[in-house]
Amino acid sequence: MDGQKRVLETPRGDSQLTPLWQKRNFYHYPFVMLSDIISSRHLLSLLVKRDIATRYRRAYLGFSWAILEPLLLAGVYSVVFTILVGSSDPLYAAKVVLGVIGWSLFSRSVTSSAKSLTNSVNLFQFARVPKSVFATNGPITNTILALFSLLSVIPFFIIHDLPVTVNLLMVPLWLFFISFTGWSIGLLVAPISCKIPDMMNIINFLVRAGFFLSPVMWTYDMFSRRFGEGWQSVVAHLNPTIVPLTEIRDAVLGTSSNIPSWGYSMCFAISVIFYLFGSIVFMRSAHKAVVNI
Amino acid sequence: MSIVMKLENVTLEYPIARRYRKENVKPSGIRNVSFELKEGDVLGIIGRNGSGKSTLLKMMAGVFPPNDGVISSRGAVSLLAGVGVGFNKELTGRENAYLYGALMGRSRKQIDELIDEIQSFAELTHHFDRPFRTFSSGMRARLGISVATAFRPDLLLIDEVLGVGDVSFREKSQKRVKDLIETSGSVIIVSHSLGMLKEMCTRMILIEDGEVIMDDEPGAVITKYAEILKN
Repeated sequence: MDGQKRVLETPRGDSQLTPLWQKRNFYHYPFVMLSDIISSRHLLSLLVKRDIATRYRRAYLGFSWAILEPLLLAGVYSVVFTILVGSSDPLYAAKVVLGVIGWSLFSRSVTSSAKSLTNSVNLFQFARVPKSVFATNGPITNTILALFSLLSVIPFFIIHDLPVTVNLLMVPLWLFFISFTGWSIGLLVAPISCKIPDMMNIINFLVRAGFFLSPVMWTYDMFSRRFGEGWQSVVAHLNPTIVPLTEIRDAVLGTSSNIPSWGYSMCFAISVIFYLFGSIVFMRSAHKAVVNI
Repeated sequence: MSIVMKLENVTLEYPIARRYRKENVKPSGIRNVSFELKEGDVLGIIGRNGSGKSTLLKMMAGVFPPNDGVISSRGAVSLLAGVGVGFNKELTGRENAYLYGALMGRSRKQIDELIDEIQSFAELTHHFDRPFRTFSSGMRARLGISVATAFRPDLLLIDEVLGVGDVSFREKSQKRVKDLIETSGSVIIVSHSLGMLKEMCTRMILIEDGEVIMDDEPGAVITKYAEILKN
């Protein structure tokens, strides 16, 4: 096939016979995936509404859980960390809340998009639907819930008299960036996990390990004070959540963490590389992976 | 009559499980299938269990990609199979109808226009706005059939979906599908009900081990199939 793979073609409804599957070169896949998602926005919006509506539908406290969850987790982490390390930072609890919100978004985006093919395989055996939409609705739902969870930092604004600045507008953008990166990693993993079921166990382990390697319970300043800008810093910046989690904290709490410019470049480059690889692997393999399950 | 679907040397082989690879097991699937479907054709596909009928139908619906060959179509293709797959237990019947319609590629406007008809055909009355998890299995099947048959495609593909619900609903849904067959541009039916196929189809094909071994008028194909079953 000269390196070309087939991509599901959207029916045009015109008078010409159209091949159901078009041959495409691999470098078209990142664009084809975005185009698929945009053309299926009606289905995507219904799936997101379904996920939001059903997430807490049977819980007595409903959507309050989106706020309570990070607050309770942050409470536990703060107490444990303060006892272990003896942190005297009055804003430490707020930093943990923001870290938990950002990290939860990342981990949920990775796992929801990684499980998208195996979770909906029954549907994919009967319906001609763009599979990329099913990999995308989870990360979008989680982004919306993460934005809602941000209400949990309001008490810190009142207690610590934090300033309300224009920088707060950056928070949704950084949350979107975290979700985008998690989605891209999930795209890469989804077809592989159809063939190798152990892949999801590996991802679950990496997500748990990543929690400790990301600035959730610790901060960028703590890391900088300990390791400076040596090789450890370069290695740490391979983690694509370090910059956005730190930026979210800085934007909300009005602090400045002095992330070097190469740190931002690495963060964006890693995210884009994951998307390029993720979309190519997903578009090449998703259809066959579902047939072969 | 213009062509609405064309298959050229279409092949799909399912992978063989690792433990059978050394035993020279022939992969199942579809091999080198070619035919054309013209506007107004009602094509029946018959064959033994596991011969590849449903796989072929799913390939024509764009659900499974071929390993080789080309499938071309014109207009909206709709597959009536696995009715109800995709419903969410926590959503209401109405919400599920919108979701299922969207999964079939329909716009919100198209579903809006038909939502009352969907509710009325499914005979769900006030249950339509209750969570799907409270539905009985019959109610779930009725909702599935109701949404799946509400839209008129240019090419309708049907895979044994008429045996759901109680006797009266089964008769009602069979009538609905017959109406759909009459009003759709072209139809392909996979079924083991030879009497129904002979009555409805203008043409039939017989599949054996993933290959089309006969493509002719219904009477001749059914006779050949009976001979294969005897042997």
